[in-house]
Amino acid sequence: MSEIAQPSPIAVPLGAVRPLLRNWRRHVPLMLVAPLLIYMLVLYALPVLAMLLRSLNDPTWTLSHYTALFEDVVFAKTFWITFNTSVIVTLGCLILGYPVAMGLVRAKTMAPLILVVILLPFWTSVLVRSYAWMVLLGRHGLINEGLLALGMIDRPMRILNTSLATQIAMIHILLPYMILPIANALRQIDPSLLRAASGLGATPFMTFRQVILPLSMSGVAAGTLLTFVLALGFYITPAMVGGPRDITLSMLIAQEVDQLNWAYAATLSAVLLATALGILAAARHLPGVGNAFRMSMR
Amino acid sequence: MRKYTPGRRTALGLLSAGIAAPFIRPSFAQAAWPEQTTIPDALKGSGEVRIAGYGGTMQEAQTKGYYESFEKLSGIKVRPFPGANAPKVKAMVETGNVEWDVAQLSRGSIMNLQKTGDYFEKIDYSIVDDGVGKEYRFEYGLEMLLWAQVLAYRTDAFKGAVPTGWADFWDTKKYPGDRAMFGTGGGGWPEMEIALMAAGVPADKLYPLDVDKALASYSKIKKDVVKWWETGAVPIQLLTDREVTMTTVWNGRMAALQAAGVPAAISWNQGLLKRDAWGIPKGAKNKDNAMKFVAFSTMAIPQARVSLGIPYGSVNTKSDEYIPAARQEVLPSAPAIKKQLVNYDYDWWIANREAVIPKFNKWLLS
Repeated sequence: MSEIAQPSPIAVPLGAVRPLLRNWRRHVPLMLVAPLLIYMLVLYALPVLAMLLRSLNDPTWTLSHYTALFEDVVFAKTFWITFNTSVIVTLGCLILGYPVAMGLVRAKTMAPLILVVILLPFWTSVLVRSYAWMVLLGRHGLINEGLLALGMIDRPMRILNTSLATQIAMIHILLPYMILPIANALRQIDPSLLRAASGLGATPFMTFRQVILPLSMSGVAAGTLLTFVLALGFYITPAMVGGPRDITLSMLIAQEVDQLNWAYAATLSAVLLATALGILAAARHLPGVGNAFRMSMR
Repeated sequence: MRKYTPGRRTALGLLSAGIAAPFIRPSFAQAAWPEQTTIPDALKGSGEVRIAGYGGTMQEAQTKGYYESFEKLSGIKVRPFPGANAPKVKAMVETGNVEWDVAQLSRGSIMNLQKTGDYFEKIDYSIVDDGVGKEYRFEYGLEMLLWAQVLAYRTDAFKGAVPTGWADFWDTKKYPGDRAMFGTGGGGWPEMEIALMAAGVPADKLYPLDVDKALASYSKIKKDVVKWWETGAVPIQLLTDREVTMTTVWNGRMAALQAAGVPAAISWNQGLLKRDAWGIPKGAKNKDNAMKFVAFSTMAIPQARVSLGIPYGSVNTKSDEYIPAARQEVLPSAPAIKKQLVNYDYDWWIANREAVIPKFNKWLLS
């Protein structure tokens, strides 16, 4: 233990370290995270700050980019589209993901297989997966050709290049982020509670409603939060499979960068970042979510 | 009974558009290519020049067209880079870390950026060839490639009817099927000229653009436009997969599609004649070599060679004598085709884009 905790000479300059050295055991946790902290500070936090600064001081110190937001109809609509899409996708992930998480926890021999099936798409690039959805959802893709062959439709439906396509593809990409925290919470439930419930005469449904569901809420909260915040930042998928009006906030930011309106792009980025941070901060105070944060620390 | 083919054509389509394209060359038989054998001493030098282009087939055509002969004749080594765009030039110049000596941009993106500061070197016109027309020269760049944004359609979609202009593009009764058009995503400027021509504005009365009239015209086709594309690969993929029956395209991309056997064709009539331009980022390390390269690449033979490698046109009037008649049939610079095209007015867009693009976005989302 003490060997691992030796401070790295690269990470912390010696002068700053001296008082730390005196009772260094107390600072072991800090020393362990110091290399990553410095890495993130230099290569992530500072560039992000420099970028955000552009929203305030380009061309001179001004709040005009932020006041412009209030009159910008395009921003308002884009923000609404982004938010709306994230809500739908998160709900879709929850409805599809919860049963899978239960299956994953209950399965004995099949569990590793289920886990691989869940994680497999996780290891494939978003670009490739979006292309795959184009092949599946296209007017002459697998789904349309299949429904035609079965006689369920008489002409190909437009699925690709619609909001529905965006939602389907995003749910697919984000499902693991919902399933894994829920499965984690389900796994923590003491099996003797379930035996006690049925011993006291509860039907399987009552056991689910009154025991499993409440005890898994921390996982649901963590999964929902993670999925929602990630969904807010989607760019490639809606651009590739989405409809003509599916402009997300990230796409608008990219467009402003390309149109050389960098100050406004920075302003929009600040709004996106603040929204994500705001949701995370607000969610901490929700019952159950605090647990989820603590749970993920274990 | 329909035969059940599970997405095979779609998969093939993606393959042919994405993978096969580089192998099926839309270029002209190599034997007929002219060869540049000497250059003025003013273009000779040493060291290197770092050139940002678009990669892919364009870079292949440029390598055979003028990178190789420039290296051989000038003694200056060429290092090509993909991914040229104006935002990167802005970032490079602002951080003082200029990694390119020349970048393939457009008069629009160069002047757009130059309007906000000093981002480009002035072109040294004393060494530029006389054959390069006045209309292609401007202070901070030199136009070096002619291309066209044109109407493309599936030839199997309309029972033999042939669309010949934007009024036909707007006519979804006679020419059924979805459409795709160029949007504002990748820093692009929407095709307002096309919307105006569809509404009956004559090609020579387009500028200054009547934006409200263009948007009103766009509104008539809005529900049929399934994609507002931002990169040239998208309309090609949409045509291949039969997601649309008609779209606007960059003409050079169509050659690869046709070579891959997709039943699709271009209608040149009322297309927009656009130009790419070399820009030299302010503070480029090899600025002198960059000037020499810009001058060399716009000489008659190097320009003709690029036109033989990829179906884009020359800015040098003397190039035509090196280009066989059969090749002229697919080049936007060929007199018979050029007269059907509308000269794109970058200057109008530079002056107005800041007001026009938010207006277009607002219309799109309403």
